[in-house]
Amino acid sequence: MTHSNTPTHTPQDDLAYVASAVRRRETRPGVPAIFFLWSALFLVGWALPDFAPRLTAPFWLVAGIGGGLLSWWLGARDELKRGDVDIELGKRYGYHWLVCGAAFFGVFLPFMLGGQEFNAYAADLLGRQFLLVCALAYGLAALHLERGLALPAAIMGAGYLVLNVWSPAYLWTTMGAMISVALFVAGLQARR
Amino acid sequence: MNAGDAAIGTHLGKLDKLFEHRVRLAICVLLTQSDVINFSRFKELLEQTDGNLGAQLRKLEDAGYVTVDKRFEGRKPVSWYALTKVGKNALQAHIKALQAVTGTVG
Repeated sequence: MTHSNTPTHTPQDDLAYVASAVRRRETRPGVPAIFFLWSALFLVGWALPDFAPRLTAPFWLVAGIGGGLLSWWLGARDELKRGDVDIELGKRYGYHWLVCGAAFFGVFLPFMLGGQEFNAYAADLLGRQFLLVCALAYGLAALHLERGLALPAAIMGAGYLVLNVWSPAYLWTTMGAMISVALFVAGLQARR
Repeated sequence: MNAGDAAIGTHLGKLDKLFEHRVRLAICVLLTQSDVINFSRFKELLEQTDGNLGAQLRKLEDAGYVTVDKRFEGRKPVSWYALTKVGKNALQAHIKALQAVTGTVG
């Protein structure tokens, strides 16, 4: 359908047309490749505490930084491909994940400084804190940036509650698989 | 003519003729929200034909309201548009005048 400026258009029609174009632009479904990337990383990374706990921290150190940089590149590529570059929005995403990255770093800091002994209790506490920060990071991102992250955030939040009430076997693997599926579905929805 | 009519007439006179076309108005409003938008994206958002959209963009370009950066992406020519300071000021003045008109009528 095409629109032209004919005398039949009232100013109200014109403003409604402008508003609908703005709304159409604001409907950003997210970048499918980023959802798929983190779906894969969560599937592997959250199974590690159950199957190879010693690899968990090094994995997330590499995957967290590498995944973040790759996500930034994928997001920039998507904007160019879509034909609509919003540097301010890109900065908002960047600052959000940078602050979350600092929070993750803060969780690990006492152990990195050697001020706290790394035993089974400390590992358990570290896992809980990591999960809480993850839930907050994803929850805030779902509120302010990307609706598709709401379900993964809810799963993380529920997982945090479960972990504090009792510790069922393979909780991390189960949560990782659920988050992975939620991100994969969000990725599929973003492709439409 | 009463004072109300005179006020409306004054505000109407401040409306920018270029923004009386809704496609041109929408282009500039969209460009206030993005740094750059390309031709295909405008086509998708504004539901216009190539010919009409191109003509409206050219008018804005001629008025100095938007700038165009033509690049080749692969083998495809892509035109990227950005709002200029002049365009931004003109849009703000137009919206102010519109608000004044609706305020006077309301």
